[in-house]
Parts: sequence; structure tokens; C-alpha cells
Amino acid sequence: MAKDVKPTRKNLMQIEDRIELSERGHDTLEKKRDGLIMEFMDILDQAQDVREDLDDSYDRAQRAINMARAMDGDVAVRGAAAALKEHPELTTQSKNIMGVVVPQIESSKVKKNLDERGYGVLGTSARIDEAADAYEELLEQIILAAEVETAMKKMLEEIETTKRRVNALEFKLLPDLRENQEYIEQKLEEQEREEIFRMKKIKAKKEAEERAEREEEEEEVEAVAADD
Amino acid sequence: MSQEIAVVGAPDFTTGFRLAGVRRFAEVDDDEKDEQLDDAVSEMLADDDVGIVVMHDEDLNHLSRGVREDVETSVDPVLVTLGGGAGSSGLREQIKRAIGIDLMEE
Repeated sequence: MAKDVKPTRKNLMQIEDRIELSERGHDTLEKKRDGLIMEFMDILDQAQDVREDLDDSYDRAQRAINMARAMDGDVAVRGAAAALKEHPELTTQSKNIMGVVVPQIESSKVKKNLDERGYGVLGTSARIDEAADAYEELLEQIILAAEVETAMKKMLEEIETTKRRVNALEFKLLPDLRENQEYIEQKLEEQEREEIFRMKKIKAKKEAEERAEREEEEEEVEAVAADD
Repeated sequence: MSQEIAVVGAPDFTTGFRLAGVRRFAEVDDDEKDEQLDDAVSEMLADDDVGIVVMHDEDLNHLSRGVREDVETSVDPVLVTLGGGAGSSGLREQIKRAIGIDLMEE
């Protein structure tokens, strides 16, 4: 790219403008990147808490269902599971963190009362109820985790692109522009020096001509005086 | 827009979620996971009605490379893995790449 420009003053001015703009953009993007990383750190803390809770809930839920399965038999548990009528639903809304759209997931019908579950109370045992309870809680944790982890993924994507842009400006565009600027400046200076040298040459030539003319005239005058 | 939770995994894994009311699930037996899990997961990813996919962390190892990458980077639906400990591994890799340091080490 460096030698593609014509060394004219107009191009130099244009390049100087572009350098100024790129530097401003670079500063802004750098600030954006730092801001995003700070926001990300907050979310990361949150995500790690949610993760821990999630793993606890999962352990608890697994214990509950293993107990139900051991005491009531696999068939009873599956039967109860197949009878459920209400199903959890998710609605997603979005929130904006520094230009990154992250989802906010809201759920309905996750927690259910005993009579809303749809399986007969008499036909099943309390252990199945406990297992269902534990899994409902687990689902709530999962929804929370999904929200936080999606936010993290999106933030990470944004951080990556911003970082790439910052680096492209810093290590590619700006050095190229500066190289061009330098090239044009050097060329223009050289042209100036050439111009001065040319002027000097012309001046010397003119002076030599004038001197020759004067000498000729003097010779003529001398010749006329000698004749007299 | 209302979406649902989907569970993919062994029958033992999904039963509990069915007890909590989840009705979208794909059951794949343990010895068929290598062949069938890819399809089951791809199907869930392509479904617009699914908002969250729940899987067991170990089941990710049964997926082929492409599907695994798809599911780990997918945002809609988003994958939540259980039983794996420190977050889904894909997220950890992504953090390393974007920030430059491993923030999730214990």
C-alpha cells in the first residue's frame, strides 16, 4: 500500500485527516473494549455463583429421583412423569449492555402445586413428589444459568470483534497510513530541493550569459576607441 | 414468543425432567449415543420452539466435532450442561480466546 499514493500535497492532507480519524476511532474502540471486559467480569462472578447452585441442585435432584426409583420402581416414576399436563414455558426479552443485546428469560409454570401436576395423588408416593419438587427447582436454576451464559457468550463475541478491530487499527491501518505520510513528505521535500537546485542552475546560466554580453559590449567599445 | 426447554440424554437423565413438566426430550440409550446423539442434538438446535437445551456434560464427548462446536457456540437455543463442574468447556475456551487468560480456573 505504501507506494500506491501519488506524492501530492492534496494526498498528504487527506492522509493526515485519515490518521486523525483512525486515532480517534482507535481510542474509542479501546475504551469500548475495556468497558466490555469490566462488564464481563461482573457477569462472570454471577455465572460462577449460578454454576455452583446449579451443580448443587442437580445433585439434590438426582438423589431424590434415585430414591423414588428405588422405593417405588422405575415404572411408577415414568408413569407419573408421563401424566404431567402443565409444561414450563419460556419467554425471552432482551436487554442492552454496552451495545450487546442479551436475553432475559422469563419462565412460567415451572413450580407447580401438587394438584397441578396431573398425576394422581393416591397412586404415587411422597418420594415422587419430592423428586418432582427437586427437578422443578433444578429447572429454575437451569433457566437462570441459560440467561447468564448466553449473556456471557454474546459479550465474549463482542469483545473478540472489538479487540480485532482495535488491533487492526493499531497494527495495520495506522502504520500503513504513517508510512504513506512519511513517503509523501520525503518526496515533497526532495521535489523542493530539486526545484531549488534547478533555480540555482538557471540563475548561474543567466548570470553567465549576462557577463558574456557585457564583455562583448566592452570589447566593442574598446574596438571603437582604438579605431579613433 | 414462548419457547420450551428440551432435554437430550439417556432415559435415566430425562425422566426427572419429565417429572418437572418438560415435554420436549430426546432419549438416546447409552450404547447408541455415538450414532444417534448427533442427530438428536441437531434436531433440537434447528427447532425454533426450543429455547434451552439441557444435556449431561459427559454426553458432549459422544458428539462429533462439528455438532459439538455448533451446540457450544449456539445462542438460540442455548446449551446448559449439568454435572460437568466448572461451566461448559466451550465457554471456557472462548474466554481464553477473547480475554487472553483462563478466568475459570478453580
